[in-house]
Amino acid sequence: MLEINNQYTLMKRRIDTEVLKAFFAGDLEEIVDTLPIKIIPRERVPNRCCVYKERAMVRYRIMSLLGVDIDRDDDELKPLRKFVQETLAQDPPVLPTLTTISPGCSSCPDEQYHITDSCRGCFARPCMANCPKDAIVFVNGRARIIEERCVNCGKCLEVCPFHAVVHIPVPCEEACPVDAIKKNAEGFVEIDHSKCISCGHCARSCPFGAIVERSGLFPVVKMLTSGTPVVAMIAPAIDGQFPGNLAQIKAAVLALGFAAVVEVAQGALVTAEHEAAELSGRMQAKQGYLTTSCCPAYMELADKHLPFLQNRRSSALSPMAYTAKLCAQRIPDSKRVFIGPCLAKKVEASKIDEIDGVISFSELAALFIAKDIDVREMQPVPPEDTLAFQDCREFACSQGVAHSVLRRVADPEAVRVLPVDGVDRKTVRTMKVWEKRPPEADLVEVMCCEGGCLAGPGVVVNPKLALRLRQGGNVAKVGAIPLRK
Amino acid sequence: MRKQRIKVRICVGTACFVQGGADLLLYGDFLDPELLGECDIEGTSCLGGCKAESRDRKAPFVEINGTLHANVTPALLVELLREVAHA
Repeated sequence: MLEINNQYTLMKRRIDTEVLKAFFAGDLEEIVDTLPIKIIPRERVPNRCCVYKERAMVRYRIMSLLGVDIDRDDDELKPLRKFVQETLAQDPPVLPTLTTISPGCSSCPDEQYHITDSCRGCFARPCMANCPKDAIVFVNGRARIIEERCVNCGKCLEVCPFHAVVHIPVPCEEACPVDAIKKNAEGFVEIDHSKCISCGHCARSCPFGAIVERSGLFPVVKMLTSGTPVVAMIAPAIDGQFPGNLAQIKAAVLALGFAAVVEVAQGALVTAEHEAAELSGRMQAKQGYLTTSCCPAYMELADKHLPFLQNRRSSALSPMAYTAKLCAQRIPDSKRVFIGPCLAKKVEASKIDEIDGVISFSELAALFIAKDIDVREMQPVPPEDTLAFQDCREFACSQGVAHSVLRRVADPEAVRVLPVDGVDRKTVRTMKVWEKRPPEADLVEVMCCEGGCLAGPGVVVNPKLALRLRQGGNVAKVGAIPLRK
Repeated sequence: MRKQRIKVRICVGTACFVQGGADLLLYGDFLDPELLGECDIEGTSCLGGCKAESRDRKAPFVEINGTLHANVTPALLVELLREVAHA
Protein backbone atom coordinates (compact mmCIF):
# COMPACT_ATOMS: atom_id res chain seq x y z
CA MET A 1 0.00 0.00 0.00
CA LEU A 2 1.12 3.54 -0.65
CA GLU A 3 2.42 5.83 2.06
CA ILE A 4 -0.27 8.01 3.61
CA ASN A 5 1.21 11.17 2.19
CA ASN A 6 2.10 11.14 -1.46
CA GLN A 7 1.69 13.51 -4.40
CA TYR A 8 -1.85 12.31 -4.90
CA THR A 9 -3.12 12.59 -1.32
CA LEU A 10 -1.48 15.99 -0.94
CA MET A 11 -3.15 17.18 -4.14
CA LYS A 12 -6.47 15.86 -2.89
CA ARG A 13 -6.07 17.78 0.35
CA ARG A 14 -5.24 20.90 -1.60
CA ILE A 15 -8.35 20.56 -3.76
CA ASP A 16 -10.51 20.05 -0.66
CA THR A 17 -9.02 23.19 0.87
CA GLU A 18 -9.59 25.33 -2.22
CA VAL A 19 -13.20 24.17 -2.54
CA LEU A 20 -13.89 24.88 1.13
CA LYS A 21 -12.24 28.28 0.98
CA ALA A 22 -14.49 29.21 -1.91
CA PHE A 23 -17.52 27.84 -0.07
CA PHE A 24 -16.81 29.88 3.04
CA ALA A 25 -16.16 32.95 0.91
CA GLY A 26 -19.60 32.42 -0.59
CA ASP A 27 -18.52 32.16 -4.21
CA LEU A 28 -18.16 28.41 -4.68
CA GLU A 29 -20.92 28.18 -7.30
CA GLU A 30 -19.42 31.04 -9.21
CA ILE A 31 -15.82 29.86 -9.36
CA VAL A 32 -16.02 26.08 -9.02
CA ASP A 33 -15.71 25.48 -12.75
CA THR A 34 -12.50 27.51 -12.86
CA LEU A 35 -10.92 25.69 -9.90
CA PRO A 36 -9.38 22.86 -11.96
CA ILE A 37 -7.57 25.48 -14.05
CA LYS A 38 -6.52 27.48 -11.02
CA ILE A 39 -5.17 24.36 -9.29
CA ILE A 40 -3.47 23.00 -12.42
CA PRO A 41 -2.03 26.05 -14.18
CA ARG A 42 -0.70 25.77 -17.71
CA GLU A 43 2.89 26.07 -16.47
CA ARG A 44 2.70 23.05 -14.21
CA VAL A 45 4.90 20.10 -15.08
CA PRO A 46 2.22 17.44 -15.10
CA ASN A 47 2.43 14.07 -13.37
CA ARG A 48 -0.13 12.66 -15.75
CA CYS A 49 0.08 12.85 -19.54
CA CYS A 50 -0.84 16.54 -19.71
CA VAL A 51 -2.34 19.38 -17.69
CA TYR A 52 -5.71 18.79 -19.34
CA LYS A 53 -6.00 15.30 -17.96
CA GLU A 54 -4.90 16.57 -14.57
CA ARG A 55 -7.63 19.20 -14.71
CA ALA A 56 -10.16 16.55 -15.61
CA MET A 57 -9.06 14.54 -12.57
CA VAL A 58 -9.36 17.62 -10.35
CA ARG A 59 -12.90 17.99 -11.63
CA TYR A 60 -13.62 14.40 -10.65
CA ARG A 61 -12.10 14.91 -7.22
CA ILE A 62 -14.36 17.92 -6.69
CA MET A 63 -17.32 15.78 -7.75
CA SER A 64 -16.40 13.08 -5.23
CA LEU A 65 -15.97 15.76 -2.57
CA LEU A 66 -19.50 16.88 -3.38
CA GLY A 67 -20.59 13.31 -2.76
CA VAL A 68 -21.40 12.53 -6.40
CA ASP A 69 -21.45 8.84 -7.30
CA ILE A 70 -19.20 9.17 -10.31
CA ASP A 71 -19.91 5.61 -11.43
CA ARG A 72 -23.51 6.49 -11.99
CA ASP A 73 -23.61 10.22 -12.47
CA ASP A 74 -20.69 11.13 -14.68
CA ASP A 75 -22.44 13.68 -16.85
CA GLU A 76 -19.67 15.40 -18.73
CA LEU A 77 -21.97 18.06 -20.07
CA LYS A 78 -22.95 19.13 -16.60
CA PRO A 79 -20.87 21.98 -15.20
CA LEU A 80 -19.51 21.60 -11.65
CA ARG A 81 -21.73 24.51 -10.66
CA LYS A 82 -24.79 22.30 -11.23
CA PHE A 83 -23.32 19.56 -9.04
CA VAL A 84 -22.68 22.12 -6.31
CA GLN A 85 -26.26 23.37 -6.52
CA GLU A 86 -27.61 19.85 -6.27
CA THR A 87 -25.46 18.93 -3.27
CA LEU A 88 -26.32 22.17 -1.48
CA ALA A 89 -30.02 21.65 -2.15
CA GLN A 90 -30.12 18.03 -1.04
CA ASP A 91 -27.67 15.75 0.76
CA PRO A 92 -26.49 13.00 -1.59
CA PRO A 93 -27.05 9.40 -0.41
CA VAL A 94 -24.22 8.07 1.78
CA LEU A 95 -23.79 4.66 0.17
CA PRO A 96 -21.92 3.29 -1.64
CA THR A 97 -18.85 4.74 0.03
CA LEU A 98 -16.50 4.23 -2.89
CA THR A 99 -16.72 5.15 -6.52
CA THR A 100 -14.39 4.89 -9.49
CA ILE A 101 -13.05 7.29 -12.08
CA SER A 102 -12.59 5.17 -15.15
CA PRO A 103 -10.74 7.82 -17.23
CA GLY A 104 -8.20 7.92 -14.38
CA CYS A 105 -7.71 4.15 -14.34
CA SER A 106 -4.54 3.03 -16.01
CA SER A 107 -6.02 -0.38 -16.89
CA CYS A 108 -3.05 -2.11 -15.31
CA PRO A 109 -2.20 -5.43 -17.00
CA ASP A 110 -3.21 -8.55 -15.08
CA GLU A 111 -1.05 -9.57 -12.14
CA GLN A 112 2.07 -11.30 -13.38
CA TYR A 113 5.62 -12.35 -12.71
CA HIS A 114 8.11 -11.23 -15.28
CA ILE A 115 11.76 -12.07 -15.85
CA THR A 116 13.78 -8.99 -16.65
CA ASP A 117 17.02 -8.42 -18.55
CA SER A 118 18.91 -8.93 -15.31
CA CYS A 119 18.63 -12.69 -15.83
CA ARG A 120 22.15 -14.01 -16.27
CA GLY A 121 21.03 -17.41 -17.53
CA CYS A 122 22.90 -19.14 -14.73
CA PHE A 123 23.83 -22.79 -14.58
CA ALA A 124 22.02 -23.70 -11.38
CA ARG A 125 18.71 -22.33 -12.71
CA PRO A 126 16.93 -22.23 -9.34
CA CYS A 127 13.88 -20.61 -10.95
CA MET A 128 13.37 -23.57 -13.20
CA ALA A 129 14.12 -26.11 -10.48
CA ASN A 130 11.66 -24.53 -8.05
CA CYS A 131 8.80 -23.81 -10.42
CA PRO A 132 5.97 -26.21 -9.48
CA LYS A 133 4.29 -25.86 -12.87
CA ASP A 134 7.26 -26.18 -15.24
CA ALA A 135 6.43 -22.71 -16.46
CA ILE A 136 10.01 -21.55 -16.95
CA VAL A 137 11.89 -22.16 -20.16
CA PHE A 138 15.23 -20.88 -21.37
CA VAL A 139 15.32 -18.97 -24.62
CA ASN A 140 18.57 -17.52 -25.93
CA GLY A 141 20.24 -18.27 -22.61
CA ARG A 142 17.64 -16.41 -20.56
CA ALA A 143 14.75 -17.58 -18.45
CA ARG A 144 11.24 -16.82 -19.63
CA ILE A 145 7.87 -17.52 -18.06
CA ILE A 146 5.20 -19.30 -20.08
CA GLU A 147 2.14 -17.31 -19.11
CA GLU A 148 -0.40 -20.07 -19.65
CA ARG A 149 1.32 -22.31 -17.13
CA CYS A 150 2.26 -19.72 -14.52
CA VAL A 151 0.09 -19.71 -11.39
CA ASN A 152 1.66 -16.58 -9.87
CA CYS A 153 3.11 -18.44 -6.90
CA GLY A 154 6.24 -16.29 -6.83
CA LYS A 155 8.70 -19.10 -6.10
CA CYS A 156 11.01 -17.97 -8.93
CA LEU A 157 11.14 -14.46 -7.48
CA GLU A 158 12.18 -15.82 -4.10
CA VAL A 159 15.00 -17.98 -5.39
CA CYS A 160 16.62 -15.86 -8.13
CA PRO A 161 20.05 -14.77 -6.84
CA PHE A 162 20.10 -11.79 -9.23
CA HIS A 163 16.63 -10.48 -8.36
CA ALA A 164 15.83 -10.79 -12.04
CA VAL A 165 12.20 -11.68 -11.41
CA VAL A 166 9.72 -8.89 -10.78
CA HIS A 167 6.19 -9.12 -9.49
CA ILE A 168 3.83 -6.74 -11.26
CA PRO A 169 0.61 -6.51 -9.26
CA VAL A 170 -2.65 -4.73 -9.93
CA PRO A 171 -2.46 -2.58 -6.81
CA CYS A 172 -6.19 -2.21 -6.19
CA GLU A 173 -6.95 -5.89 -6.76
CA GLU A 174 -4.03 -6.92 -4.59
CA ALA A 175 -5.12 -4.64 -1.76
CA CYS A 176 -8.75 -5.75 -1.78
CA PRO A 177 -9.15 -8.45 0.87
CA VAL A 178 -12.43 -9.75 -0.58
CA ASP A 179 -11.99 -9.79 -4.36
CA ALA A 180 -14.50 -7.01 -4.79
CA ILE A 181 -12.45 -5.31 -7.49
CA LYS A 182 -12.61 -6.46 -11.04
CA LYS A 183 -11.80 -5.03 -14.39
CA ASN A 184 -14.66 -4.62 -16.80
CA ALA A 185 -14.59 -5.63 -20.45
CA GLU A 186 -12.72 -2.44 -21.36
CA GLY A 187 -10.11 -3.16 -18.71
CA PHE A 188 -11.19 -0.38 -16.33
CA VAL A 189 -11.66 -0.80 -12.61
CA GLU A 190 -15.06 -1.73 -11.26
CA ILE A 191 -16.19 -2.30 -7.69
CA ASP A 192 -18.61 -5.07 -6.87
CA HIS A 193 -20.54 -3.34 -4.12
CA SER A 194 -22.23 -6.55 -3.01
CA LYS A 195 -18.80 -7.81 -1.95
CA CYS A 196 -17.13 -4.53 -0.93
CA ILE A 197 -16.56 -4.04 2.80
CA SER A 198 -15.59 -0.35 2.49
CA CYS A 199 -12.19 -0.82 4.08
CA GLY A 200 -10.75 1.67 1.60
CA HIS A 201 -7.58 -0.32 0.95
CA CYS A 202 -8.09 -0.04 -2.82
CA ALA A 203 -8.42 3.72 -2.73
CA ARG A 204 -5.24 3.93 -0.69
CA SER A 205 -3.39 1.66 -3.08
CA CYS A 206 -4.22 3.08 -6.49
CA PRO A 207 -1.30 5.29 -7.52
CA PHE A 208 -3.47 6.94 -10.18
CA GLY A 209 -6.22 7.98 -7.80
CA ALA A 210 -8.85 6.17 -9.85
CA ILE A 211 -10.79 4.97 -6.81
CA VAL A 212 -12.19 7.63 -4.55
CA GLU A 213 -14.41 7.85 -1.52
CA ARG A 214 -17.60 9.82 -1.82
CA SER A 215 -17.22 12.52 0.75
CA GLY A 216 -19.82 13.43 3.33
CA LEU A 217 -18.19 16.77 4.03
CA PHE A 218 -20.79 19.05 2.47
CA PRO A 219 -23.75 17.79 4.48
CA VAL A 220 -21.65 18.49 7.59
CA VAL A 221 -20.56 21.95 6.50
CA LYS A 222 -24.20 22.73 5.77
CA MET A 223 -25.16 21.55 9.26
CA LEU A 224 -22.54 23.84 10.76
CA THR A 225 -24.02 26.88 9.01
CA SER A 226 -27.64 25.91 9.69
CA GLY A 227 -27.79 27.10 13.28
CA THR A 228 -28.58 23.68 14.80
CA PRO A 229 -26.00 22.75 17.45
CA VAL A 230 -23.65 20.11 16.04
CA VAL A 231 -21.63 17.83 18.30
CA ALA A 232 -18.26 16.62 17.04
CA MET A 233 -17.42 13.09 18.12
CA ILE A 234 -13.69 12.67 17.70
CA ALA A 235 -12.25 9.20 17.23
CA PRO A 236 -9.44 8.11 19.57
CA ALA A 237 -7.02 8.15 16.63
CA ILE A 238 -7.20 11.95 16.39
CA ASP A 239 -4.43 12.37 18.93
CA GLY A 240 -1.26 12.61 16.87
CA GLN A 241 -2.98 13.71 13.66
CA PHE A 242 -2.37 17.41 14.17
CA PRO A 243 0.32 19.53 15.73
CA GLY A 244 -0.48 20.45 19.30
CA ASN A 245 -2.02 18.40 22.07
CA LEU A 246 -5.45 16.84 22.38
CA ALA A 247 -6.86 19.80 24.32
CA GLN A 248 -5.75 22.10 21.51
CA ILE A 249 -7.21 19.83 18.85
CA LYS A 250 -10.51 19.97 20.71
CA ALA A 251 -10.32 23.75 20.83
CA ALA A 252 -9.63 23.85 17.11
CA VAL A 253 -12.66 21.65 16.38
CA LEU A 254 -14.82 23.97 18.48
CA ALA A 255 -13.46 26.93 16.54
CA LEU A 256 -14.95 25.42 13.39
CA GLY A 257 -18.39 26.03 14.82
CA PHE A 258 -19.17 22.75 16.54
CA ALA A 259 -21.26 23.24 19.68
CA ALA A 260 -19.39 20.59 21.63
CA VAL A 261 -16.62 18.11 21.15
CA VAL A 262 -16.81 14.65 22.70
CA GLU A 263 -14.19 11.94 22.71
CA VAL A 264 -15.37 8.65 21.26
CA ALA A 265 -13.07 7.03 23.83
CA GLN A 266 -15.97 7.67 26.19
CA GLY A 267 -18.11 5.25 24.21
CA ALA A 268 -15.13 2.93 23.91
CA LEU A 269 -15.27 2.53 27.67
CA VAL A 270 -18.81 1.14 27.38
CA THR A 271 -17.70 -1.16 24.57
CA ALA A 272 -14.71 -2.42 26.57
CA GLU A 273 -16.82 -3.08 29.66
CA HIS A 274 -19.46 -4.88 27.63
CA GLU A 275 -16.87 -7.01 25.85
CA ALA A 276 -15.08 -7.81 29.10
CA ALA A 277 -18.30 -9.10 30.66
CA GLU A 278 -19.16 -11.07 27.54
CA LEU A 279 -15.67 -12.55 27.37
CA SER A 280 -15.74 -13.66 31.00
CA GLY A 281 -19.15 -15.24 30.47
CA ARG A 282 -18.02 -17.14 27.40
CA MET A 283 -14.86 -18.35 29.07
CA GLN A 284 -16.77 -19.58 32.10
CA ALA A 285 -19.28 -21.41 29.94
CA LYS A 286 -16.48 -22.70 27.70
CA GLN A 287 -18.20 -21.38 24.60
CA GLY A 288 -15.07 -20.69 22.65
CA TYR A 289 -13.63 -17.54 21.21
CA LEU A 290 -15.12 -14.05 21.08
CA THR A 291 -14.13 -11.45 18.52
CA THR A 292 -14.22 -7.71 18.95
CA SER A 293 -16.87 -5.77 17.07
CA CYS A 294 -15.64 -2.19 16.84
CA CYS A 295 -14.03 -2.31 13.39
CA PRO A 296 -16.86 -1.60 10.94
CA ALA A 297 -14.99 -3.02 7.94
CA TYR A 298 -14.64 -6.27 9.88
CA MET A 299 -18.38 -6.18 10.65
CA GLU A 300 -19.03 -5.87 6.92
CA LEU A 301 -16.56 -8.67 6.28
CA ALA A 302 -18.39 -10.97 8.66
CA ASP A 303 -21.79 -10.01 7.26
CA LYS A 304 -20.86 -10.43 3.63
CA HIS A 305 -18.19 -13.11 3.58
CA LEU A 306 -17.82 -14.94 6.90
CA PRO A 307 -21.37 -15.31 8.23
CA PHE A 308 -20.35 -17.90 10.83
CA LEU A 309 -18.57 -15.10 12.69
CA GLN A 310 -21.83 -13.27 13.30
CA ASN A 311 -22.42 -15.14 16.55
CA ARG A 312 -18.73 -15.09 17.41
CA ARG A 313 -18.36 -11.34 17.45
CA SER A 314 -19.25 -9.37 20.52
CA SER A 315 -22.76 -8.00 20.81
CA ALA A 316 -21.28 -4.73 22.04
CA LEU A 317 -22.00 -1.70 19.90
CA SER A 318 -19.09 0.29 18.57
CA PRO A 319 -17.59 3.19 20.54
CA MET A 320 -19.05 5.54 17.93
CA ALA A 321 -22.57 4.18 18.47
CA TYR A 322 -22.39 4.42 22.28
CA THR A 323 -20.92 7.90 22.09
CA ALA A 324 -23.67 9.05 19.75
CA LYS A 325 -26.36 7.72 22.07
CA LEU A 326 -24.65 9.42 24.99
CA CYS A 327 -24.52 12.75 23.15
CA ALA A 328 -28.13 12.44 22.04
CA GLN A 329 -29.17 12.14 25.69
CA ARG A 330 -26.91 14.86 26.95
CA ILE A 331 -27.50 17.44 24.24
CA PRO A 332 -30.97 16.85 22.81
CA ASP A 333 -31.98 18.62 19.60
CA SER A 334 -28.41 18.48 18.40
CA LYS A 335 -26.86 16.85 15.36
CA ARG A 336 -23.91 14.52 15.74
CA VAL A 337 -20.92 14.12 13.45
CA PHE A 338 -18.25 11.47 13.72
CA ILE A 339 -14.74 12.61 12.84
CA GLY A 340 -12.41 9.69 12.25
CA PRO A 341 -9.91 7.92 10.04
CA CYS A 342 -12.36 5.35 8.73
CA LEU A 343 -14.35 4.90 5.57
CA ALA A 344 -16.43 1.94 6.70
CA LYS A 345 -17.75 4.03 9.59
CA LYS A 346 -20.02 5.64 7.02
CA VAL A 347 -21.68 2.30 6.39
CA GLU A 348 -22.12 1.77 10.11
CA ALA A 349 -23.31 5.33 10.71
CA SER A 350 -25.95 5.00 8.01
CA LYS A 351 -27.61 2.36 10.19
CA ILE A 352 -27.56 4.43 13.39
CA ASP A 353 -30.23 7.10 13.84
CA GLU A 354 -28.19 9.18 16.28
CA ILE A 355 -25.43 9.90 13.76
CA ASP A 356 -25.96 12.60 11.16
CA GLY A 357 -22.63 12.74 9.41
CA VAL A 358 -19.13 11.31 9.08
CA ILE A 359 -16.00 13.13 7.96
CA SER A 360 -12.36 12.09 7.86
CA PHE A 361 -9.30 13.60 9.54
CA SER A 362 -8.10 14.58 6.11
CA GLU A 363 -11.29 16.57 5.52
CA LEU A 364 -11.00 18.05 9.00
CA ALA A 365 -7.50 19.19 8.05
CA ALA A 366 -8.88 20.91 4.95
CA LEU A 367 -11.48 22.63 7.14
CA PHE A 368 -8.75 23.89 9.49
CA ILE A 369 -6.72 25.34 6.64
CA ALA A 370 -9.73 26.84 4.89
CA LYS A 371 -10.76 28.53 8.14
CA ASP A 372 -7.19 29.55 8.93
CA ILE A 373 -7.12 27.67 12.21
CA ASP A 374 -3.69 26.82 13.52
CA VAL A 375 -4.12 23.97 15.99
CA ARG A 376 -0.82 24.57 17.73
CA GLU A 377 -1.73 28.17 18.53
CA MET A 378 -5.12 27.33 20.03
CA GLN A 379 -5.90 28.05 23.65
CA PRO A 380 -6.42 24.50 24.98
CA VAL A 381 -9.87 23.63 26.28
CA PRO A 382 -10.09 23.57 30.08
CA PRO A 383 -8.97 20.25 31.58
CA GLU A 384 -11.70 17.62 31.69
CA ASP A 385 -12.03 14.56 33.84
CA THR A 386 -11.06 11.82 31.41
CA LEU A 387 -9.54 9.41 33.89
CA ALA A 388 -12.29 6.80 33.55
CA PHE A 389 -11.92 6.38 29.81
CA GLN A 390 -8.52 7.70 28.81
CA ASP A 391 -6.98 4.24 28.53
CA CYS A 392 -9.64 3.51 25.89
CA ARG A 393 -7.93 5.96 23.55
CA GLU A 394 -5.83 2.90 22.79
CA PHE A 395 -8.74 1.62 20.72
CA ALA A 396 -7.00 3.42 17.87
CA CYS A 397 -3.98 1.12 17.87
CA SER A 398 -3.66 -2.53 17.07
CA GLN A 399 -3.98 -4.56 20.30
CA GLY A 400 -5.36 -1.50 22.04
CA VAL A 401 -8.90 -2.84 22.17
CA ALA A 402 -7.66 -6.13 23.61
CA HIS A 403 -5.68 -4.25 26.27
CA SER A 404 -8.69 -2.18 27.24
CA VAL A 405 -10.82 -5.31 27.54
CA LEU A 406 -8.16 -7.21 29.51
CA ARG A 407 -7.95 -4.39 32.01
CA ARG A 408 -11.61 -4.97 32.76
CA VAL A 409 -11.69 -8.72 33.29
CA ALA A 410 -11.03 -10.43 36.62
CA ASP A 411 -8.17 -12.60 35.44
CA PRO A 412 -6.41 -11.08 32.41
CA GLU A 413 -3.61 -13.65 32.67
CA ALA A 414 -6.01 -16.41 31.73
CA VAL A 415 -7.16 -14.77 28.49
CA ARG A 416 -5.46 -15.88 25.30
CA VAL A 417 -5.51 -12.99 22.84
CA LEU A 418 -5.14 -13.26 19.10
CA PRO A 419 -4.69 -9.88 17.44
CA VAL A 420 -5.59 -9.75 13.74
CA ASP A 421 -3.56 -6.73 12.72
CA GLY A 422 -4.70 -5.79 9.24
CA VAL A 423 -6.97 -7.81 6.98
CA ASP A 424 -5.73 -8.85 3.56
CA ARG A 425 -6.57 -11.71 1.22
CA LYS A 426 -4.47 -14.14 3.20
CA THR A 427 -6.05 -13.17 6.52
CA VAL A 428 -9.49 -13.75 5.08
CA ARG A 429 -8.44 -17.23 3.96
CA THR A 430 -7.12 -17.95 7.46
CA MET A 431 -10.30 -16.69 9.05
CA LYS A 432 -12.42 -18.88 6.76
CA VAL A 433 -10.76 -21.91 8.32
CA TRP A 434 -12.01 -20.88 11.76
CA GLU A 435 -15.42 -22.21 10.85
CA LYS A 436 -14.05 -25.75 10.97
CA ARG A 437 -11.09 -25.23 13.27
CA PRO A 438 -11.55 -22.40 15.78
CA PRO A 439 -8.48 -20.33 16.63
CA GLU A 440 -6.73 -21.17 19.88
CA ALA A 441 -7.71 -17.96 21.57
CA ASP A 442 -10.37 -16.56 23.81
CA LEU A 443 -10.38 -13.02 22.45
CA VAL A 444 -9.75 -12.24 18.81
CA GLU A 445 -9.17 -8.57 18.15
CA VAL A 446 -9.78 -7.68 14.51
CA MET A 447 -8.54 -4.47 12.91
CA CYS A 448 -8.88 -4.23 9.16
CA CYS A 449 -6.11 -1.65 8.81
CA GLU A 450 -2.62 -2.79 9.71
CA GLY A 451 -1.54 -0.93 12.82
CA GLY A 452 -5.12 -0.08 13.73
CA CYS A 453 -7.18 3.02 13.06
CA LEU A 454 -4.01 5.12 13.10
CA ALA A 455 -3.43 3.70 9.62
CA GLY A 456 -7.00 4.19 8.38
CA PRO A 457 -7.69 5.56 4.92
CA GLY A 458 -8.67 8.98 6.25
CA VAL A 459 -5.61 9.86 8.32
CA VAL A 460 -3.23 12.75 7.72
CA VAL A 461 -0.07 11.56 9.40
CA ASN A 462 2.23 8.63 8.78
CA PRO A 463 1.18 6.07 11.45
CA LYS A 464 4.75 5.78 12.66
CA LEU A 465 4.87 9.48 13.41
CA ALA A 466 1.33 9.51 14.80
CA LEU A 467 2.36 6.90 17.38
CA ARG A 468 5.23 9.12 18.40
CA LEU A 469 3.11 12.27 18.59
CA ARG A 470 0.38 10.71 20.68
CA GLN A 471 0.65 11.88 24.25
CA GLY A 472 0.85 8.49 25.81
CA GLY A 473 -1.84 6.02 26.52
CA ASN A 474 -0.81 3.99 23.49
CA VAL A 475 0.30 0.41 23.50
CA ALA A 476 3.77 1.03 22.20
CA LYS A 477 4.61 3.34 25.06
CA VAL A 478 2.58 1.83 27.87
CA GLY A 479 2.48 -1.83 26.94
CA ALA A 480 1.27 -2.74 30.40
CA ILE A 481 0.12 -6.31 29.85
CA PRO A 482 2.12 -8.56 27.57
CA LEU A 483 -0.27 -10.40 25.27
CA ARG A 484 -0.38 -14.16 25.35
CA LYS A 485 -0.55 -15.85 22.01
CA MET B 1 37.82 25.89 14.15
CA ARG B 2 34.51 24.37 15.06
CA LYS B 3 31.92 24.47 12.36
CA GLN B 4 28.75 26.49 12.89
CA ARG B 5 25.80 24.27 13.60
CA ILE B 6 22.96 24.34 11.09
CA LYS B 7 19.75 25.77 12.50
CA VAL B 8 16.71 24.06 11.02
CA ARG B 9 13.18 25.09 11.88
CA ILE B 10 10.42 22.93 10.47
CA CYS B 11 7.10 24.75 10.32
CA VAL B 12 4.42 22.80 12.15
CA GLY B 13 1.63 25.27 11.57
CA THR B 14 -1.45 23.30 10.61
CA ALA B 15 -1.22 24.18 6.91
CA CYS B 16 2.36 22.95 6.60
CA PHE B 17 1.84 19.99 8.89
CA VAL B 18 -1.03 18.46 6.95
CA GLN B 19 0.41 19.19 3.54
CA GLY B 20 3.49 17.08 3.97
CA GLY B 21 5.30 18.90 6.78
CA ALA B 22 4.49 16.10 9.21
CA ASP B 23 6.63 13.69 7.20
CA LEU B 24 9.62 15.99 7.69
CA LEU B 25 9.40 15.32 11.42
CA LEU B 26 10.59 11.80 10.69
CA TYR B 27 13.98 13.37 9.88
CA GLY B 28 15.65 10.88 12.17
CA ASP B 29 14.75 8.19 9.63
CA PHE B 30 15.89 9.80 6.41
CA LEU B 31 18.77 12.09 7.34
CA ASP B 32 22.27 10.75 7.30
CA PRO B 33 23.40 10.47 10.95
CA GLU B 34 26.53 12.47 10.21
CA LEU B 35 24.50 15.30 8.73
CA LEU B 36 21.99 15.02 11.54
CA GLY B 37 24.83 15.57 13.99
CA GLU B 38 25.56 18.97 12.50
CA CYS B 39 21.99 20.20 12.73
CA ASP B 40 19.80 21.64 15.44
CA ILE B 41 16.32 20.73 14.27
CA GLU B 42 13.12 21.96 15.88
CA GLY B 43 9.46 22.21 15.04
CA THR B 44 8.23 25.75 15.10
CA SER B 45 4.99 27.71 15.04
CA CYS B 46 3.78 29.01 11.70
CA LEU B 47 6.64 30.71 9.91
CA GLY B 48 4.17 32.75 7.87
CA GLY B 49 5.14 31.24 4.55
CA CYS B 50 1.59 30.07 3.89
CA LYS B 51 0.27 33.62 4.20
CA ALA B 52 2.34 34.67 1.19
CA GLU B 53 1.90 31.53 -0.90
CA SER B 54 2.43 31.87 -4.60
CA ARG B 55 2.15 29.44 -7.45
CA ASP B 56 5.66 28.07 -6.94
CA ARG B 57 6.04 28.57 -3.22
CA LYS B 58 3.68 26.37 -1.26
CA ALA B 59 3.59 24.56 2.07
CA PRO B 60 5.42 22.89 3.69
CA PHE B 61 8.01 25.50 4.66
CA VAL B 62 11.33 25.01 6.41
CA GLU B 63 13.79 27.65 7.59
CA ILE B 64 17.47 26.76 7.34
CA ASN B 65 19.91 29.23 8.89
CA GLY B 66 17.37 31.99 8.45
CA THR B 67 16.42 31.25 4.84
CA LEU B 68 12.84 30.16 4.17
CA HIS B 69 12.41 27.26 1.75
CA ALA B 70 9.08 26.22 0.20
CA ASN B 71 7.68 22.89 -1.09
CA VAL B 72 10.06 20.97 1.13
CA THR B 73 9.97 17.20 0.84
CA PRO B 74 12.20 14.80 2.79
CA ALA B 75 14.40 14.43 -0.31
CA LEU B 76 14.68 18.19 -0.78
CA LEU B 77 15.49 18.68 2.90
CA VAL B 78 18.39 16.25 2.61
CA GLU B 79 19.63 18.08 -0.46
CA LEU B 80 19.33 21.54 1.11
CA LEU B 81 21.13 20.47 4.27
CA ARG B 82 23.94 18.87 2.27
CA GLU B 83 24.41 22.09 0.36
CA VAL B 84 24.58 24.14 3.54
CA ALA B 85 26.88 21.65 5.28
CA HIS B 86 29.35 21.62 2.38
CA ALA B 87 29.25 25.34 1.68
